Amino acid sequence: MTLPSAYSEARTRRFNVGERVRVKLAFPPGHRRTPVYVRGKSGIVERVCGAFANPEELAYGFDGEPKRVLYRVRFRQRELWPGYAGAESDHLELEIYEHWLEPA
Amino acid sequence: MSKRPHDMGGEAAGPIDTVDHGMKFWEKRANALRNTLTSGKVIRLDELRRAAEDLGPRYYELEYFQRTTEALRRVLIEHGYFTEAELAAKMAEVRRRYDAA
Amino acid sequence: MKHHDHDHSHDPSFDDGPPSEHEIMSRAIQELLEAKGIISGEQLRRRMEQFDTDFPQRGARVIAHAWLDADFRQRLLADGKRACAEWGIDLEADRLIALENTPRVHNVIVCTLCSCYPRALLGMPPTWYKSENYRRRVVREPRAVLREFGTVIADDVEVRVHDSNADMRYVVVPMRPAGTEGWSEERLASIITRDALVGVSVPKP
Repeated sequence: MTLPSAYSEARTRRFNVGERVRVKLAFPPGHRRTPVYVRGKSGIVERVCGAFANPEELAYGFDGEPKRVLYRVRFRQRELWPGYAGAESDHLELEIYEHWLEPA
Repeated sequence: MSKRPHDMGGEAAGPIDTVDHGMKFWEKRANALRNTLTSGKVIRLDELRRAAEDLGPRYYELEYFQRTTEALRRVLIEHGYFTEAELAAKMAEVRRRYDAA
Repeated sequence: MKHHDHDHSHDPSFDDGPPSEHEIMSRAIQELLEAKGIISGEQLRRRMEQFDTDFPQRGARVIAHAWLDADFRQRLLADGKRACAEWGIDLEADRLIALENTPRVHNVIVCTLCSCYPRALLGMPPTWYKSENYRRRVVREPRAVLREFGTVIADDVEVRVHDSNADMRYVVVPMRPAGTEGWSEERLASIITRDALVGVSVPKP
């Protein structure tokens, strides 16, 4: 039996691992899974997680199709937070849906 | 720009209570209820999250499983599994049962 | 709020004092759904048991196995859900990314938006993980937060925070501490705490 991989390659995708991307600086109403603290920030694609039903639609009873590509994006903490108190090498990683990303 | 109440990453806050206080019995049962409903695909976890976020300022006044319960109520009513009136009647019945014991 | 071991022959809710509004609401919702045949009391009882006795044991066993079996470790890091499944642990809906601590990198996990957590691997998240202050602060000042848990990470080690904000779930694979040479898998599992698997502490022999 083939099990779904955590990060199976999505068939068509806009961004590749290693590419610099920027998270849209947008504040649409309703259920979103892109935290405000990363909006407008730029980071590097760490991996492609695969394609998933869109939670922004699932939250309201729709089926969330067509699936959206989900990426893990890596940010430097010094770039996320003014006056970040930790090490230069500290990073934060989280998952961002493709429609929230632009080339940086 | 107003944020939904759950979107709190990066906000200033005080010390963390690092002790795990576990769960009361009713919370364990509430957790099993939520989990059974979402894995059985009766409702989606995404709907529950949205309903919790829609609590607005009450989000901060409620404890975790109180939020879960309020969100479950909202989504199950949306789906038509019961009405507010049916829930109120059942709650009165449950309360009477506890008081009688 | 201690954990009570309940005698299930009577309604154990009484043990916790007069029920709150939300306890009553939760019970009422449950009974309405049972009456309509949407769920059964048996399903809930089984679930509660899984969360209490089954799920919490799994994480430490998986990591102890990874410490002893390099091939399993690689498979776990490559695809957490598949590696667990092949080893006999069904993570159900959770997709798992295992994060390896190294001498250069210390990982710590949070869900800032709610409380996403690999429940089928670790059981219920601790109250601090779900707390507003953890969710607010660990993304912005992870080292200060780790210090509150008694964990100090050297400046030349990267602290990498993972916000599990969408479809993935995460577990930390801590470094195996010195002084555990020759230990059995069971003994290794006994020092792998839940807190170490979330990344706020490290295992000690």
